[in-house]
Amino acid sequence: MSEILNVEMLSRVQFAVVAGLHILFPPLTIGLSLIIFFLEASWVRTKDLFYLQHTKFWMRIFVLNFGIGVVSGIPMEFLFGVNWGPLSTNNGAFLGNLLGFEAVLAFMLEAAFLSIMVFGWTRVPPKAHLAATGIVTFAATLSAFWIMSASSWMQTPSGITLVNDKIVISDYLAAIFNPSFPASFLHMEMASIELSLFVTGGISAWYILKGRNTDFFLRLLKISLTALILVAPLQVLLGDWEGQNIAHHQPAKLAATEAHWNTNPPGTGASWSLLAWPNRETQSNDWSIEIPYVLSLLIHHDPKASVIGLREFPREDQPPVLIPYYTFRIMMAIGFFFAGLALWTGWLWWRGRLDMTHAPRQRWLWRAWILSIPLAYLAVESGWFLREVGRQPWVIYGIMRTEHAYSQIPLQSLIWSLGSYALLYTTLIVIGFYFARRILREGPDLDTPIKTFSGSHKPSAELAHRTQGS
Amino acid sequence: MDNTQLIGQVAVIWFLLLGFFLVAYVVLDGFDLGVGILSLLPSEKTRVGIMMQSLGTVWDANESWLVVVGGILFGAFPLAYGMMLPAVYVPAFLLLFGFALRGVAFEYREHAENKRMWEWAFGIGSLLAAAAQGLILGEIIAGFNIDPGESQASLLAWLDPFTLIVSVGVITGYALLGAGYLIMKTEGEPQAAFYRLAYKIMPYPMLVAAAVTIYTPLVHTYVMARWFTLPNLFLYAILPLIAIYAYYRLWRSLEQQSETGPFFWTLIVFLSSFAGLAATLFPYLIPTRLRIYEALAPLNTVVLMLAVVIFFVPIMIIYNWYMYRVFRGKAEDLPAYADDE
Repeated sequence: MSEILNVEMLSRVQFAVVAGLHILFPPLTIGLSLIIFFLEASWVRTKDLFYLQHTKFWMRIFVLNFGIGVVSGIPMEFLFGVNWGPLSTNNGAFLGNLLGFEAVLAFMLEAAFLSIMVFGWTRVPPKAHLAATGIVTFAATLSAFWIMSASSWMQTPSGITLVNDKIVISDYLAAIFNPSFPASFLHMEMASIELSLFVTGGISAWYILKGRNTDFFLRLLKISLTALILVAPLQVLLGDWEGQNIAHHQPAKLAATEAHWNTNPPGTGASWSLLAWPNRETQSNDWSIEIPYVLSLLIHHDPKASVIGLREFPREDQPPVLIPYYTFRIMMAIGFFFAGLALWTGWLWWRGRLDMTHAPRQRWLWRAWILSIPLAYLAVESGWFLREVGRQPWVIYGIMRTEHAYSQIPLQSLIWSLGSYALLYTTLIVIGFYFARRILREGPDLDTPIKTFSGSHKPSAELAHRTQGS
Repeated sequence: MDNTQLIGQVAVIWFLLLGFFLVAYVVLDGFDLGVGILSLLPSEKTRVGIMMQSLGTVWDANESWLVVVGGILFGAFPLAYGMMLPAVYVPAFLLLFGFALRGVAFEYREHAENKRMWEWAFGIGSLLAAAAQGLILGEIIAGFNIDPGESQASLLAWLDPFTLIVSVGVITGYALLGAGYLIMKTEGEPQAAFYRLAYKIMPYPMLVAAAVTIYTPLVHTYVMARWFTLPNLFLYAILPLIAIYAYYRLWRSLEQQSETGPFFWTLIVFLSSFAGLAATLFPYLIPTRLRIYEALAPLNTVVLMLAVVIFFVPIMIIYNWYMYRVFRGKAEDLPAYADDE
């Protein structure tokens, strides 16, 4: 049968399509809920209407995003059973457990309190409402905790013994907190926060650039920026930690990510390739631009340390190289761009260039911020592809191969379902994007009083004037 | 106590828990899907707005019980999860597809200018999801006419008259539950219309239930053997009697225009059918092939998971109850996204 049109490959493609499109949504849910919680808490604390207006405005984007996230996420849980029966059967004792915990502890909590967060403004007192927002925020991160633990366990399975090919957990905590988990979870959590800060910052930049409600959004941009000056460099460090973790526990994945074919002899130092064209057939790079010693330095923080090359692994155990290699470079470049953008904007702020008179003139700065929105999504997507493709040919690293994990399903059924999922999800996302754009075009409503439990909050004349825009 | 005995007991507890979550799901999302199915009736087209508003605050939480069912099945009975789902590939896909359609319909209708399109998506998605659940249920009762876990012959192997009839039963049963819910959530003219509607739907799920009750023991010797041996017969006979009584009370409550009666008595019909199903299946997850003891994950895992889940079940019930309480009242008074602005 052809290379693509077989049940294994199509099952993989189907999972990649569903997971790849789903992963666009939870990060914003995680990060934006945190931002909204901060804004709402600030309102409860200060009674400054600015915070309430922003809470309401971002809530609209949040709800839209959350809805598509849930809709695209429910199939994920069932795809494990439907397309990956043997994987589920043999590893359900752990993977199923964590998905069960995610459903019982996190997902349900999030869904129930989301209703109160979205619809409950006039039905519960402000503090109860804030608590609901807080619970949604907490549950979103708790969800990520379980999902990342399950995903990390597939990268570095631990705390288990094998009995007749099926796993039995011997140490529960070791399995949950498997070696890949801490770095992966924090890296993902930080990615979610960073992405959301660039979404709030980038959208604010768009309004500033358009000259609409400049004051209202400049103030929010500064809040986002303050957080980003901390978050963006921290994320680079977390990425480095994740990289070392991979080097230690999944050397083949690391070698593929770096297209590093030959283990460098001791005392020589491995060079880092900035760009290359890896060739699996020849087990080398067709061409490459390399910087001496840097790979050793990156991985072992020692310019002459030895880094295991991909050729050390039998061909059938080597992951594909091209996707990990390039997705990593895309993600890294974006990460550095973000850190740079945050620092540059911070510097301008420090020099007093982000006030109402100077700020609107920084047109290229705002354009860079707007560009950072799609880049942030691209970075998340790249990271996810690197993580999942780099694990191949294993579905559970070192324990179960992908080729042994899929269900025998009629090819016809698979073609139909894959086609329908791809079509449905693409339509959903296109329409969702269209509605998001419309929410942004309409902009925040700063004139109508906002109804809450304790009454109606009218914009003061002074504030209404201040936020009219230029 | 030896290990086999312990496995047996833990498996039974998980079977009951799975049953609890399924009932919670079937009842809560059942009326939810039922409202969607009713929205497709030509006579209800003008009321779709209010019907969707009656669900706006609860549909997401209701649907999340299915995620819990999926997670529990995966975690506690991985063998069943991995064997059953591939065997019902097409219905499972239709189910998920239907969910996606109706889920976005809620979201996008709020934003759209052409609301009619999303109202169709809401109705069709609900119908698809309900129909697919019926097909899966039929497949389980029939004991999978395709071999779970084995390579399947074709795209439509799951399709046969029996599963289709069960599917009709689920669709009309949900519709009845939905009508009961709408009666509670409306007043005046719409409410009167939903009374009439419930009246018209009432016979269908009853006919299907009767057909399945008669047909199943005739075809499946294990059911025959179980139901028609002597002490069992009396026990199993209680459930259809309860169902028949509940049907009678349902009919009365519609006559008397009781507000909560129709929903409550439909609920009793559901519960007794469900208990009948569980008692018939037990201890099988896939009739005659896979028993709960064989499908159970290793003991240490399921015991730990049991401790966690048992601890959280009351909490889940409490906050879901709280949510329903916050949004109690008639659908017209419920907040919508639009009120938010």
